[in-house]
Amino acid sequence: MSIKIAVIQFPGSNCDLDTLHVLKNVVDIETNLIWHNDFKETEYDGVIFPGGFTFGDYLRAGIIAAHSPALDEARIMLRDGRPILGICNGFQILIEAEFLPGALLKNDSLKFICKWINLIVENNKTSFTNKMKLGGVLNMPIAHGEGRYFTDNLKELEENDQIVFRYVNETGEITREANPNGALENIAGICNLEQNCVGLMPHPERASEPILSPKGTTHGKLFFESMISFVKKGVL
Amino acid sequence: MPKVGKDNNELKVDLTQKEIKEIKELLKREPSLTEWGMFDVMHSEHCSYKSSRPKLKLFEDAEKNYDYVLAGPGQDAGVIDIGDGYCLAFRIESHNHPSAIEPYHGAATGIGGIIRDILCMGVRPIALLDPLRFGPLKNNPHSQWLFKYVVKGIADYGNCTGIPTIGGEIEFDKSFESNCLVNVACIGLGTIEDFKHAPSKAFNFGDYVILMGGATGRDGIHGVTFASRTLTEMSEADRPAVQIGDPFTKKMIIEATLEAIKTGYVRGLKDLGGGGLSCVLSELTGDGGTGATIDMEKIFTREPDMNSFEVMLSESQERMAFIVKPEGLETVLNVFKKFEMAHAVIGKTDDSRILKVNDGDNLVVNLPAVALSDSPTIPRKEQRPKILDELLAQETPEPNLELEKIIYELISSVNICSKKWVYQQYDHEVGIRSVVKCGEGDSGVLRIIGTNKFIAASVGVNSKHCYLDPYEGVKGGLVEVCGNVIANGARPLAMVNCCNFGNPEIPESFWYFSRSVKGMADFCKELKIPIVGGNVSFYNEDEVTKTAIKATPIVMIVGLIEGKEKIITLPFKKVGNDILLIGETKAELGGSEYHSVIHNLEGGTPPKVNEKNIKATWNFIFELYKNDLVKANHDVNKGGLVITIAEMGFKNNIGANLDLSDCLDNLRDDELLFSESVGRFILETEPDQYQKIMGIAEQFNVSVKKIGVLISAPKITIKGLKAMSFGLKIAELKDLYDSTIPNIMET
Repeated sequence: MSIKIAVIQFPGSNCDLDTLHVLKNVVDIETNLIWHNDFKETEYDGVIFPGGFTFGDYLRAGIIAAHSPALDEARIMLRDGRPILGICNGFQILIEAEFLPGALLKNDSLKFICKWINLIVENNKTSFTNKMKLGGVLNMPIAHGEGRYFTDNLKELEENDQIVFRYVNETGEITREANPNGALENIAGICNLEQNCVGLMPHPERASEPILSPKGTTHGKLFFESMISFVKKGVL
Repeated sequence: MPKVGKDNNELKVDLTQKEIKEIKELLKREPSLTEWGMFDVMHSEHCSYKSSRPKLKLFEDAEKNYDYVLAGPGQDAGVIDIGDGYCLAFRIESHNHPSAIEPYHGAATGIGGIIRDILCMGVRPIALLDPLRFGPLKNNPHSQWLFKYVVKGIADYGNCTGIPTIGGEIEFDKSFESNCLVNVACIGLGTIEDFKHAPSKAFNFGDYVILMGGATGRDGIHGVTFASRTLTEMSEADRPAVQIGDPFTKKMIIEATLEAIKTGYVRGLKDLGGGGLSCVLSELTGDGGTGATIDMEKIFTREPDMNSFEVMLSESQERMAFIVKPEGLETVLNVFKKFEMAHAVIGKTDDSRILKVNDGDNLVVNLPAVALSDSPTIPRKEQRPKILDELLAQETPEPNLELEKIIYELISSVNICSKKWVYQQYDHEVGIRSVVKCGEGDSGVLRIIGTNKFIAASVGVNSKHCYLDPYEGVKGGLVEVCGNVIANGARPLAMVNCCNFGNPEIPESFWYFSRSVKGMADFCKELKIPIVGGNVSFYNEDEVTKTAIKATPIVMIVGLIEGKEKIITLPFKKVGNDILLIGETKAELGGSEYHSVIHNLEGGTPPKVNEKNIKATWNFIFELYKNDLVKANHDVNKGGLVITIAEMGFKNNIGANLDLSDCLDNLRDDELLFSESVGRFILETEPDQYQKIMGIAEQFNVSVKKIGVLISAPKITIKGLKAMSFGLKIAELKDLYDSTIPNIMET
């Protein structure tokens, strides 16, 4: 079965070409880069909202893009269970469009921060994590100014197994020092109730080739391989 | 300042009386006020290089002498052929004056400007590097304010445009206290085909002139004449001359411009920077041998009722001018529409060689195109400052501290310590090309996706060395910056420079400039490195304190690595391996961090460069690379050799036992440890290759000394000095190295 994925390009997206490169040349899946106004969901098995500064992050990160027609198309995919991934600014868009619950606030340092961090996998059943080991530690970079996750429904998220990743130290412990932005309970990524839509602040597309990783890892690739496996099986 | 115009319609200009007279003679009439304003801007130092041009002729003709140089000085950026059909464009510029007044927007628009320069060569900007200078940081709220907001300005602008900031260098020195330096460099990557589609001239008659991007507003009017004066207390009132950046619009301009070029219908393009429309229109037509008629009413403005003077001189950001083939007008306009970029067809080129601007029925500008772009030069006097004799004669006092304490002091110096606080605010990963990342190597290394090639880039110069001897200082800067890319395995391919100096009307300041240019020219000719571009920033003085900045001729080198396996990195890798010191250490403590931090001295004997030795060292290093004999490499820089070794041990927590008895010769302990003699490297090599390496060293006539071995204990022990042997803890060194800037900035 052939799989076709869309990477949505908004004005101000800047990880669009990076994500396209990894999908096409590293993971080897048919992928189209689509201008946000031109996106039609019927052609695609999955959609990725890449990082960047859509509409300059004016007003609030992700909020203007959240009103693009591309999100109406993606909402159809959300309902019928196709995989949707939001990376960094893409995560901010999915939050603003209410695909995912909560909010992303300014980092507690009030500074943009770019560095490699570690994540622990807390849910390996989602459309983007089914190839990962539960409790496994992933090495990936972050690069954001507004990535401090917050919700007033923490309990619900925990009960529904919607917390997918938390920031941890090298040995996998959830510590204050390992939390780069002050996110509530070190939360780095979450999913929707149905687990077909995942959003996270770290950048899997920057961690998919050994040459780019300080430790030679390719943990980012697991996201896209999980997506392929999910699409092939048709169900979670 | 002279006044031009008549009665109540007068304008103060920075033109000289001689220039005013010549302009009137050329036109055989009194120019309109708008025309006076255009002449004023185009004859400013910033646009015309009128003081510097005679000296810059010393640089050899890069385009003629190097077959891989596609564009050399005088263009918006230098361009080199790197094989496989790809080319690199790069340039460095200053944005000092705006940043000294308004650090956030000054720095941000500096990034904006350099991105446009690269873009108008037809290639995609893929990397930024920023050399910065500020006053001392400790207990200095003004310097901290400038530092914090310059970094934030660069971060917010660069991050939003999706161009990684992959490197830079920072010095803190009291001469930069009120005149900080913000230099910005950008590298672009594209195909040679793309580059050929983007000349910055209008050489054809009957093409459309299109303005695309931001609206023209009243901001930045006379920014360049402001940059061509020294900063005074009155400069605070010049704050409206600082432009406001909009990185989101810039990102759209990048995408729209690259897509427009791909249509094949663009015949020329140029960015609007200093001098605004005046500069762009006169250079496009003047350099292209054409003329143009412009309809001012078509130019979209941010505010109503802007007059022709304001429109022609506005330096509003985020604007590009395109020369478009008539048959492709619609196609190109559709690209701009897709990206929702404001645009207007503002005129047409013709064969008149005259630039005409109509404001309704009024012809407000009617000038021969070359009158503006061919500006006069002014010969400047130069004189060596008398104070240098005294400075150069300064001797190093006996150290007043134990050597180990001095090393801990040095590694906590803001000029040596980690700049992580800075580069963590920059997205240095976007574009997924960054292979050797900020803080992990002497240079930034990027992969060229689709090839097995990598480029390495580094910037810098040692301002303290240049202050004592600009000729040797700039050569030393070149040795160091080339050394940075060589340490990562790259061969230096080409150089661009950004000359930051004081007032050229003062002979002592001009002497610094003149000697620096000579140093660059001599070194690059000898080492066969083409100079493909440059920028000159004068008037970096403070009229209140009557101090000029320390001469800062920043150089940037781009090098090429042919293959992934040829990339060399800085961290020590394996316990038991040898530590080799390459190159000679001399009693050259003049302008060193040791002098400044420990003895509060600015003088002494600064490092000298021997081109023959440098050439031999580089050839030797590449011979070792060819034989796969180098496991880690780091050039020896500020603070001297122990600091270099400590930096190499941090990542993998590897220590070293050093025995320096072979190196001491006639040197004092502090001279050996803290000398900043240039052209030295610390290598990690395997012990069983030692004989082979020494054989190659003999063949190349290079000084190589084994000075120690790597150990698993996290400490550096040093023996073989006149003083008792001593030890340093890696953890303590690292803590000081990492915490110095956060401790100052976050408390």
